[in-house]
Amino acid sequence: MEKILTRNIHKENSQSIDVYEASGGYQALRKAVTQMTPVEVIDEVKKSGLRGRGGAGFPTGLKWSFMPPKGDKPHYLLCNADESEPGTFKDRLLMEKDPHLVLEGCMASAYAMHADACYIYIRGEFVLGAEVLERAVEEAYAKGYAGKNVCGSGWNCDLVIHRGAGAYICGEETALMSSLEGGRGNPRVKPPFPAQSGAWGAPTTINNVETLACVPFILERGADWFKSIGPNEKNTGPKLYCLSGHVKRPGVYEAPMGLPLKELIYDLGGGMLHDDRPLKACIPGGSSVPVLRAEECDTNLDFDSLAALKTGLGSAGIMVMDSSTCMVKSLLRISHFYAHESCGQCTPCREGCGWMERILQRIEDGGGLQQDIDLLKNIADNIEGRTICALGDAAAWPVQSFVTKFRDEFQAHVDAGRCTVQGVA
Amino acid sequence: MPKVTIDGVEMEVAAGTTVLQAALSRGREVPHYCYHPGLSIAGNCRMCLVEVEKAPKLMISCQTQVADGMVVHTQSEKVQEAQSSVMEFLLINHPLDCPICDQAGECRLQEYAVEHGTGVSRHDVPKVIQSKAVDIGRHITLDQERCIQCSRCIRFCDEVTGTGELDFFQRGDRTKIGLYPGKRLDNAYSGNVADICPVGALTVKEFRFSTRVWYLKNTPTVCAGCSKGCNVMVAVGRKQELMTSPGQMDDGIKRVVPRVNEEVNGHWICDEGRLSYIGLEAAERLQSAQDSNGGELDWDAAVEAAGAKIREAAEAGALGLIASPRATNETLFAASRLVKAVGGATVGVQKIHRGEDDKLLIRADKGANSKGAGEILGATDAVDVLAAAASGKLKTLVVFGDLLNPDDTIDLGDAASNVENIIYVGPFVDAASAAAALRLPTASWAEEDGTMVNCDGRIQSVGRCHRSRGEGRPGWLVAQELLAAAGGESPEWAEGSEVYEEMANELETFRGTSSAGIGLLGIATGTPAAAGA
Amino acid sequence: MYGAEFEKQVDRLVARYPEAKAAMLPVLWEVQKEKGWIDKESEAWVAERLGTSPAAVHGVVTFYTMYKQKPMGRHHIQVCTTLSCMLRGSDELMDHLKGKLGIDEGEVSHDGKFSLVRVECLGSCGTAPMFQLNDDYHEDLTIDAVDKLLDGLE
Repeated sequence: MEKILTRNIHKENSQSIDVYEASGGYQALRKAVTQMTPVEVIDEVKKSGLRGRGGAGFPTGLKWSFMPPKGDKPHYLLCNADESEPGTFKDRLLMEKDPHLVLEGCMASAYAMHADACYIYIRGEFVLGAEVLERAVEEAYAKGYAGKNVCGSGWNCDLVIHRGAGAYICGEETALMSSLEGGRGNPRVKPPFPAQSGAWGAPTTINNVETLACVPFILERGADWFKSIGPNEKNTGPKLYCLSGHVKRPGVYEAPMGLPLKELIYDLGGGMLHDDRPLKACIPGGSSVPVLRAEECDTNLDFDSLAALKTGLGSAGIMVMDSSTCMVKSLLRISHFYAHESCGQCTPCREGCGWMERILQRIEDGGGLQQDIDLLKNIADNIEGRTICALGDAAAWPVQSFVTKFRDEFQAHVDAGRCTVQGVA
Repeated sequence: MPKVTIDGVEMEVAAGTTVLQAALSRGREVPHYCYHPGLSIAGNCRMCLVEVEKAPKLMISCQTQVADGMVVHTQSEKVQEAQSSVMEFLLINHPLDCPICDQAGECRLQEYAVEHGTGVSRHDVPKVIQSKAVDIGRHITLDQERCIQCSRCIRFCDEVTGTGELDFFQRGDRTKIGLYPGKRLDNAYSGNVADICPVGALTVKEFRFSTRVWYLKNTPTVCAGCSKGCNVMVAVGRKQELMTSPGQMDDGIKRVVPRVNEEVNGHWICDEGRLSYIGLEAAERLQSAQDSNGGELDWDAAVEAAGAKIREAAEAGALGLIASPRATNETLFAASRLVKAVGGATVGVQKIHRGEDDKLLIRADKGANSKGAGEILGATDAVDVLAAAASGKLKTLVVFGDLLNPDDTIDLGDAASNVENIIYVGPFVDAASAAAALRLPTASWAEEDGTMVNCDGRIQSVGRCHRSRGEGRPGWLVAQELLAAAGGESPEWAEGSEVYEEMANELETFRGTSSAGIGLLGIATGTPAAAGA
Repeated sequence: MYGAEFEKQVDRLVARYPEAKAAMLPVLWEVQKEKGWIDKESEAWVAERLGTSPAAVHGVVTFYTMYKQKPMGRHHIQVCTTLSCMLRGSDELMDHLKGKLGIDEGEVSHDGKFSLVRVECLGSCGTAPMFQLNDDYHEDLTIDAVDKLLDGLE
């Protein structure tokens, strides 16, 4: 397949605006601000079927249409570059290797939002990414692609890089706003929704890096072209897949939406890391989505196919586990993540995540009790759907799916008082 | 106005009302922790989850606005499951402190655990440990482990006092309430955080370990600390036969907490008012009529002697009277009658001023009823009468002592040595009583039913919380007895309400009102609707 | 407490937002760049400058894992141990580091040269196992590569 999102990343000096412009960069932005209205941009993105690449898969054009007409309040576009979902590392690739693609996507989308400013919230750990983006922002300003009178259109929009400081929860859109405003990364109860009252109480749209990076292509080549990539109208466009875990060639792979999971693992990814350790399990969309057993892996990586399997494409972080993997230890490690990252505001997540981790630790250490497995599932069920934000669900789903799909292994671990997988060939 | 059906009952409410507010206003209790009517909405405890028909998930009622046609179930099976799970989550890291926690008996964790909890703990892994009994301010102790992270205290310090001392530190289940290192929670309203804390994480030091709340007898009244007249509840201990610890054996005032009155103090009181009972309880009380040496006198004989001195001085045009700005309207009115009956006197009202008005509740005028005194006696200070006394122009000076704190009783200065007879009418053995030839004990602020007028012109009821000491009795009763002893015709008042009735007939400010009609929240003067009856 | 140059940089940062308080995270980064960590006095300074309370600043500093609340080593090693890195040997890497440096997670070597912490997913799952050394990512690590890297540090 023709490389679209990753077309520049291997070029020498790919971060420079000259290289970017030489391959046609910023023409989409120019077209948008000089030849299209914001409504036309929104319509084109709507038609394209683009769905959010941050984790929720919400139709982007629809999200954009929630913004009110421009009144006397400022409008903001926030680029969610907080990429912290375990298994995910695609946004980082774009930011470090093709920053101008990200910036052009931001500015074209900001235009559609009537934004007065676009803040790119990048996780604190991506120091290199932030430096690369800052330099690119300077270049963009110098050439009139950001700041006053963008491309001579009369529209003004500032572009600001804002670094986080180590909190996965800040990838949640309302927590991102709390953090941007200078506070603890606390998600907010909705309503009000960001489009009504977001950053500093103003209408705000938040989009993921990869989502925004698709926009220049949609504007340049058209919604129909974008829609033609992928299996159907609800799952469209080129996609970056992050492959990690027990494979020979982990990394980011670009392919059309709907890439078969097994093709990713065995063709692009070079197959299992050890030839004598077959596939045991795979998490297809970042650690928050339910795990798949090996026999469930004959599926395609798109939103609806995975939803049909009661899991999700999420952030497209495909984590592969082979037969040597202890599912108890893996779940413990995942649960520790959520307990560590919970903001602590609401009762079920704050208390429940730590509780689940401590039970799993006890099982891992050999002290598991017979009631622990059902208890784990029950705690997860009690967190799900009752929290301020989706982190509670994200903590619950791994526990529910691991404990249900690998119950025998958990049971064996409890009965034996130790891992029954590792140390056994 | 949108109509909502809650548990089968349809109600019409103002637009913008939340489901929780609608339910509470109609007497339907929906359990909640973080919501407080005096603070912004947080939505974090998740205890108030309710079922809203057509909604995909349970919704928090504290933040969900009523939409026309909304149908809500607050006690469905789904809701009960959610409530019991939230209770379970709250309890897993909560220390089993009930036996040593002041909050017991008025603790929402206890109450909701009984009503909505699972009854059995399934948590058998190590609990999260935090700090206990941390001294965070002059009046507040923090137990970080007991905290359920509702954030009420943080919101109070941010939104009400604007002082921002408290915040959350760390995150996840390591989240705890704390102060910026080295800072203290010492704003003038710090005690309120203990009131609003739903559990025993924040407690008032002065009340700590003193008694159990179920032994307290509560009386609604108003604070006498300043002219704001904040509405309060005074809690007095009850003698318990089987108890042996000192705090449980006496019937002293144990604490004072705010009563909600949106027209006066909202939900809050200041620390000085909250703790003013301490000075009162510690003070030495005048228990019987006394002579100038503190020797006990027969009551009637003392009143007789005082009345004679009053009449003598009045006939010579050398009578003075200083009223207390903390006296009730009834006492002040009786004093005015006394003055009238004997043909006049130089009258003044003690002025107690300290500091400045703040933006919240505190008033520089520390006289709870200085406004009433102004209306009834026509005086706002005691400058003239003190000057007359100091220059020897007065033969008899009747001094009404402070009713709250002996340290606030008027400083007579040169008047003390230049007046032949000082007659002290008040509850304490204090500097003014020490200067008096005759001393007649009265009830304190906590021992008299009466009324006061606050700085905004609101007439409010003062409730009797306590028994009198020795021969002490309401100030108006003493004034009535002095009036008769001075040769006047006694009005024969038997109750404070009778005094009020006559006062209402005579004075414009109180016209059309009755002490029975004042109610728990008081009435504004000067409005026709204020004729409470 | 801070020189004119620093204050100017803070002013520049504040100007990028509609409200001063939004400069909280960037300003704290400047403080950490300047001092190596964020001490109490700096928190009070930031509170004053941004118009908020010291407690709120402390609340921010203790919420985000990258702000150091005490001095750490000159070479601060942050080892990712989340699932994908765990699958590719992060735990063995961490054990090796503990042994080599003679410190446990969260500790600083007595000469102040190294500190070692366990962190969550760094977004480098494709090149696991890995760690972040001060600002830089070191990926596709092997024991040998780690030894070579650390032995060459001052």
